This record gives sequence, C-alpha cells and structure tokens, in this order.
Amino acid sequence: MDLFWQSALWRHREAFWDGLVVTMQVTVIGYIGAILLGFALCMMSMYVRPLRWPSRFFIEFFRATPIYVQLLWVNYVWPKVIGWPNGFFEAGCTALAVQSAGYLAETFRAGIEGISRGQIEAAQAQGMSGPLIMRRIVLPQVVHTMAPSFMNQLLVVIKSSTLVSVIAVPDLMYQALRLTSIWFEPIEILSCTALIYLVIVSALSWAFKVYTDRIRAKYGLTRG
Amino acid sequence: MIEKFSELAKDLDPAVFWEYRAVLIPGLLYNFYVFFLTVGVAVGLGLFVAILRLSHHGVLRAVGGLYAEVCRNTPEYIALIWIYYVPPLLIGLAIGRNISFSPLLAAVIALGLSSSGYFTETFRAGILAVPKGHVEAARALGMSRLATMQRIVLPQAIRHMLPEAMNQFVSLFKGTTLVSLIAIPDLMYEVSLVTMDTDRALPLYTGAALIYFVLILAMTTLVRKVTDRMRKSPRMTG
Repeated sequence: MDLFWQSALWRHREAFWDGLVVTMQVTVIGYIGAILLGFALCMMSMYVRPLRWPSRFFIEFFRATPIYVQLLWVNYVWPKVIGWPNGFFEAGCTALAVQSAGYLAETFRAGIEGISRGQIEAAQAQGMSGPLIMRRIVLPQVVHTMAPSFMNQLLVVIKSSTLVSVIAVPDLMYQALRLTSIWFEPIEILSCTALIYLVIVSALSWAFKVYTDRIRAKYGLTRG
Repeated sequence: MIEKFSELAKDLDPAVFWEYRAVLIPGLLYNFYVFFLTVGVAVGLGLFVAILRLSHHGVLRAVGGLYAEVCRNTPEYIALIWIYYVPPLLIGLAIGRNISFSPLLAAVIALGLSSSGYFTETFRAGILAVPKGHVEAARALGMSRLATMQRIVLPQAIRHMLPEAMNQFVSLFKGTTLVSLIAIPDLMYEVSLVTMDTDRALPLYTGAALIYFVLILAMTTLVRKVTDRMRKSPRMTG
C-alpha cells in the first residue's frame, strides 16, 4: 500500500481532481448543448421549409469535419465572425456541442421517421397542435429506440473532450500534460491518466449496455 | 453592420490559401500517408483479434474481448500521447539505452490500435454472418482450418462487412488530424504554423475546415453509393 501513497496519482491528486472536474463540466455542457442544438436542427430540417437546406448543410458540415479541426475553427474563427465564444472553456464546450449535434440530429430524424404516419394523422384529426403531437405522441415513443445512439454519443463526447486541452482548457488531459512537463514522470502520470479515462468510459459503456439490454427485453426490440 | 461584413469578406480572402499551397498541399498528402499506413495496422490487428475472439479457447476469447474494449474505450488523444512517450521509455529501461519513437511511428501505432478495436467487431460480425453450413461443408471436404478461413469464410465475410468497414475508414481519416499534436506536419499543423506567421486565422482555419468537409463528404457519399449498390446486388443475399 506504501506504493500507492508514493505514486504520482496520489502526489498530484489535486491536479488530477481539478482536471477531472473540468472534464466533467465540459462533457456535460457540451452534451446538453448537443442535444438541444441537434433537436433544433432536426426540427428545422424536417418542418421549417425555408430553413431546410441551411440546417441540412450544418448537419452535414458538423458531421463531416474532424473534431480537432472543428475545435480550432470554433476557437479561432467564431470570435472574429460572431463575437462569441470569448473564452477557451466556452469554445471547447461549443465545439463538442456542434460536433455531436450533427450526429444527434440524424438520430432524432431516424427516430421520428420511424413513427407511423397514421398516428400523427390521428393526432392531427384530434386537433392537437404540432408541438403537442411532438411532445405527447412522437417523443415518448422514440426515446427508447434512440437511447443507444444517445448513450454512444455521450461516450464520444467524453473521448473528444480530451482535445479541449489543446486550447488550454484545464481538463484532465491538460493537467496530465502539464504535470508531465513539470515533473517528467510520463510513465506514471500518462498511464494513470489513460487508466482514468479508460475506467470512466468502460464503466459507462458497461452500464449503458446493461440498460439497453433491459430496454430491449422489456419492449421486445430486436435492434437499437 | 455592412461595414463589418465587408471587412470580414476582405479578411476571408482565400488567396492566402493559394499563397501557401507549397506547404499546405504536402500537409494534406501527409494525412493520406498516415491514413494508409494506419489502415494497414488497424485492419491487420482487427482481423487477428477477431479470429482470437472466435476461437474455441475461452482464454483467447477473453483476451480478444478485453483488447477490443481497451482500444475502443481509450480516447485517441491520450492513446497517441501515451504511445509517443511511455513505451520508448519502458523499452529504454529494459535494454538500458535511450530510445524514442518517431512521431510517425507513434501516430500509426496509436491510431492503428485505437481503430483496430472497432475493426475487430466488424470482422467478427462479418465472420459470424457466414452460414455455419459453409464452414462445415468445407471441413467435410477435407479443407484445413486455414484454407476454410481463406477460401470460404473471409471472401464472404469481407462482402458482409464492407459497408461498416468503409464507414470506419472515414472516421479513421478524421482521426488522422490528431497527428499534428505530436508535430507531424499534416494539414492542421501547417495551418497552425502559417497562422503564427501571418496572423490570419480566419481564412486559414475556415479553409482547412472546408477542405476536410469536402473530402469527407465526398468519401461518405461514395460509401453510401457503393453500399446501396451492394445491397441491391443479388450476390449479397447469399
């Protein structure tokens, strides 16, 4: 046990912890932003005629550019064009959000298109408004079928969040690189960092798998 | 407002991209270079581990499964940095000499390991999709396990897994942008250098994003076309 108290992980525990907290913040904010933006993009591309092509373009653009390129683009170009984001943290969250929003918009679309036309027509015949149909008829049904894609995307956001360290957001990865350059103990520090990420992602992925299997059994779904 | 826009338009001048083509084009080619090397590593390792995962030996199956999980669940960036720094030091300690990996070697190993985890799953699903009867028939005709794999299973499995594999090639290409972080002179690296030189982040980063966008969109469109055609072709039903 002595070994643990002398290990890099314990000696630098405060830096690791601070980094982990920032990683969690960036991930959660980016992910929630991605869900909101993805839903908005999906709605616009499906139901708002004049915005159909612009929103399709953004979905494709967000999906087809590598996250690292996206991150630098958001960080260096957006502030000059639209005057925002004006901080590294905001830029990191925004880049993660727009990247995943493209994927989630497609997930929403696939889910919504899976609902049979007849149900929507029935709801319309009852006099329900568009948003009400979305809220009461469509979304409750698609939540279960979309759950696996959503969970998978959260893992992608966590993994991509390592990159925000490049624009000096002090996340776990940033702390690891900083500690390595100060103490030069890359073997211990980098291995601990890799292990922390591996444990977090594996644990979540395992939990999601259990949850998905349960949903599939419960609703008799054969595919996610 | 209009003033601001005309200023932006002037700043967005794509000429700077053309001006620096002598470094930017080789940068982009470097992405493809890293991509092709990595594909070799990822596909080779992926196939090997997929066969491990399908073996009769419980231990081999477990090792293969663990390998795939570790590769898929580790973020690419930490994998890249880890491979770049740690194994050379460990090997150095073991043989008592200082060694280091070249950035290219580290990048190809790290990205290759990372995506081999996904290829393992793809190969496994492809091999499992081949009807068991085919394997049994080949074995009954006296073909060895290796010959069965080579002549009966893999040709069919590859056709099954091609759509999925092509999508993974595209994400692997996206992953190659990370190599600039360990100073491999790819497109993003050159763009960062030119930006430092000229202080013109706007056209350079926008241009880089657009280049990747067009390239990757072309790739995904091509993949979709090929996949659709394969689905329609009657040979796929077998």
